[in-house]
Amino acid sequence: MTDKTILSVDNLALSYGSNPILKGVSMQLKRGEVVSLLGPSGSGKTTLLRAVAGLEQPHHGSVTIAGRAIYDAAANIDIPAEKRDLGLVFQSYALWPHKTVFDNVAYPLKLRKVAQNEIVQRVHAALKNLGLDHLAERYPHQLSGGQQQRVSIARALVYNPPVILLDEPLSNLDAKMREEARAWLRNLIVEMQLSALVVTHDQSEAMAMSDRILLLNGGVIEQQGTPTDMYGQPQTYFVADFMGSNNIMTGRIGDIKGGEARIDLDNGISVWGLRRTNAAIGHEAKAVIRVEQARLADAGGHNRTEVDLVTSMFLGDRYEYVFHAGKDLLRSWGTRHEAPGKRWLELPGDAVWIF
Amino acid sequence: MLQTLPRRAVVALLALSVFFPLGLVIYQSVLSGPFFMPAAKLSLESFAFIFDDPDFWSAAKNTFAVAIGMSVIAIPLGAILAFIMVRTDLPGRKWLETPILIPIFVSPVVLGFGYVVSLGPVGFFSVWFQELFGGVPWNIYSLASIIVIAGLTHVPHVYLYSSSALRNLGSDVEEAARLSGASPFRVARDVSIPMVSPALLYVGVLVFFLGFEIFGLPLILGDPEGHLVLTTYLYKLTNKLGTPSYHLMAAVATCIIAVTFPLVLLQRALLKNAQRFVSMKGKSARQRPLMLGPWKWLAFGLILAWLFITVVVPVSGIALRSVVSSWGQGVNLLEVLTLDHFHAVFEENTMIRSIINSVLIGTLGGALAVGGYLAIGLTTHRKNDGLSRFVDYIVLTPRAIPGLMAGLAVFWVFLFVPFLAPLRSTLFSVWFAYAVVWLAYGMRLIQSALMQVGPELEEAGRLVGASNARVSRDITVPLVRNGLLGAWLLIFMIFEREYSTGVYLLSPGTEVIGAQIVSLWASGAVDVVAALSLINMALVGIGLAVALRFGVKLHD
Ligand SMILES: Nc1ncnc2c1ncn2[C@@H]1O[C@H](COP(=O)(O)OP(=O)(O)O)[C@@H](O)[C@H]1O
Ligand SMILES: [Mg+2]
Repeated sequence: MTDKTILSVDNLALSYGSNPILKGVSMQLKRGEVVSLLGPSGSGKTTLLRAVAGLEQPHHGSVTIAGRAIYDAAANIDIPAEKRDLGLVFQSYALWPHKTVFDNVAYPLKLRKVAQNEIVQRVHAALKNLGLDHLAERYPHQLSGGQQQRVSIARALVYNPPVILLDEPLSNLDAKMREEARAWLRNLIVEMQLSALVVTHDQSEAMAMSDRILLLNGGVIEQQGTPTDMYGQPQTYFVADFMGSNNIMTGRIGDIKGGEARIDLDNGISVWGLRRTNAAIGHEAKAVIRVEQARLADAGGHNRTEVDLVTSMFLGDRYEYVFHAGKDLLRSWGTRHEAPGKRWLELPGDAVWIF
Repeated sequence: MLQTLPRRAVVALLALSVFFPLGLVIYQSVLSGPFFMPAAKLSLESFAFIFDDPDFWSAAKNTFAVAIGMSVIAIPLGAILAFIMVRTDLPGRKWLETPILIPIFVSPVVLGFGYVVSLGPVGFFSVWFQELFGGVPWNIYSLASIIVIAGLTHVPHVYLYSSSALRNLGSDVEEAARLSGASPFRVARDVSIPMVSPALLYVGVLVFFLGFEIFGLPLILGDPEGHLVLTTYLYKLTNKLGTPSYHLMAAVATCIIAVTFPLVLLQRALLKNAQRFVSMKGKSARQRPLMLGPWKWLAFGLILAWLFITVVVPVSGIALRSVVSSWGQGVNLLEVLTLDHFHAVFEENTMIRSIINSVLIGTLGGALAVGGYLAIGLTTHRKNDGLSRFVDYIVLTPRAIPGLMAGLAVFWVFLFVPFLAPLRSTLFSVWFAYAVVWLAYGMRLIQSALMQVGPELEEAGRLVGASNARVSRDITVPLVRNGLLGAWLLIFMIFEREYSTGVYLLSPGTEVIGAQIVSLWASGAVDVVAALSLINMALVGIGLAVALRFGVKLHD
């Protein structure tokens, strides 16, 4: 652990009754870094975030913030949530409906016994920072969803917490706003040099917003790394499947040559790819290739196969081709409309993963 | 969603059922004599008479004292009880949930009687206390006792509303405050309590006007020392002048309604205001209960003490009194045990009839009432037109009329509307009065059941070709079946518990236990009252047991 580490979670375990939710999670967040907790619904992302915040009760492991242990099962340390000095942006925003925007944001400062004139000044600075200055006297129910979200961020930032936690911050916005808010939020975090832990279930959101991604699956970290690593070097089938749009085909290992293997697929195709499994020849395996890696070719060749193009779909910025290969539907992208018929499809060997 | 014609018919019938009796009361109050007397003419002399009567003013004063006193007792206790039950790790919370609500389902006249036989001058607990300590520090017949008992027995009403407000309060807003640095105590002070204050205000108004309408407790506890409240004053007027003094009773009733009706409207406005907060609640449903630590035993003890005073004392007193021939200082309990009172009850036709009638009105009558409420509910379901808003107001109106008065008004209706007259001495008149008096309560049950049906399920029915009426019959009603069963069971309990509404409708053939107790009490037949009270509680208890068996929620 270097001194740049601001949040460190070590082997944290948590159960509801006899039902284990977190099964020993370890992670680190460096100063000024944005880390996403990514995973399917129910994988324990929110639970991990809330355990860091002090809202859930783990039974094992430790949590340290800026060198101060805030939870340590072995040493019997469990600092209550209000003493952890963390900022949390709730998925539901959790604005207090009986307080104005100003009072919502001012409340943490009031609790910290900040002088009144300093409160006014800091709250207005925080609101201005988020473009909310003109809304200070409104009540939460008089704001749009996007504005409410900004208020809840202002409230979490106003007391300069060392780490800010965000639970699905964009999920309550509609699809178009979400993309803009994503850029805005990333920019805000970088500009203010915040250290942020963000929960999301959307892989593109995670990749766009964060410096590092932790992929949770069933209460354990499946893989962690930079967005490019996670997308380009998945270590398990789960990660490959979760991070992107894929063609997935099942078959049996036909041949092995070092780090490469040939898979004979159930749909009749045989391809070479990168071997990510210890399965021996003759055993079942899966081939995964990103949709954008599969491409049309002019003629047959290595890792090329003849398939039936069924339709071309226009997606605005590109076309998506749909092929029949045996019982499988395969997809690839291109720039032109293609008429239906027999085509050669190339699945480049360095883009096929065999799990 | 009914078609226009049946819809209008339902609303017209409803309006008639509510406004005709009410109109009759108000009309009667400005006549110089009973309205069936030809000599009666428009005049304000009935008001002049009661305003001239010192008893009226002392009753009015006592009524305010009771209403204010019981609000002051019930609201804080009920709110604290709700907080402890919903938000802390109190031991035995699940187990306590049902007993806490019992006072709501016990007839106040039975409760009053229970206090007399337990804590009265020769009550069981008084005698035991005296034997142990040599004296009894309380006087159950004082106005203060009435206020305290009324306050304690209305704690569950406050509990009901504040606990559901607390449950609706998403824990995320509280957690946000914790994260901002607030201690649990500050969270309660700055977030939780302000956010449930609209509900508290609402229930405060409710308790205040229930205080205006209470009848059973002051009837029984106030009589020995002559403490009258407006309802008992009205009841006493029945025989005051020798001739039926309907115009005077109507004048008193009009005075009561003049206070309660604005309160009902105020409540409605408050409810609207409260909903603004509810709609803001977050999604997070997880709640970590507040650790009470050693305080939990104190809280537990206080709740048990309250349950002891409001449930155990009166109920055990009645149970005991119904199986002893006499009781007093120096009497050995074992020597006076007897089942004679029950024999007496089952030997007399009127008593047997009152039990059968009570069961009929609860089961059959309850089902009919739920059917009627459902018809009204469907006329307004997912409609926001003028007719729906009109129904909203009609439904609220009977709440402002004390049951005693509503029963009298219905009696008049059945007495003087020629084609209804033959029904007067049948159970139908009692059922009609009950159904009108409990209209607002029943409609709330029905409407909350109807709101559970997702609108898209009904819309899907419309799109595949079903008419409004078919959608109601084939989709909405089948989906709310469980809600209707629950409503029926709750209405059963409420109808068993009811007493004041039947008082003026009591005649051979229309006896129900509650009204029978009121009338027997006046004649001093304590033994039979005890047996009937126990039977009455048993009926409510059966309803409660069945309701719990079917998982009916006793509150929303
Ligand atoms: N209060 C609770 N009691 C029992 N199980 C819970 C509770 N809250 C969440 N869970 C379970 O914990 C698991 C993880 O939940 P959560 O952390 O909310 O997942 P995510 O945020 O990744 O969707 C889920 O399987 C969920 O069912
Ligand atoms: Mg979640």
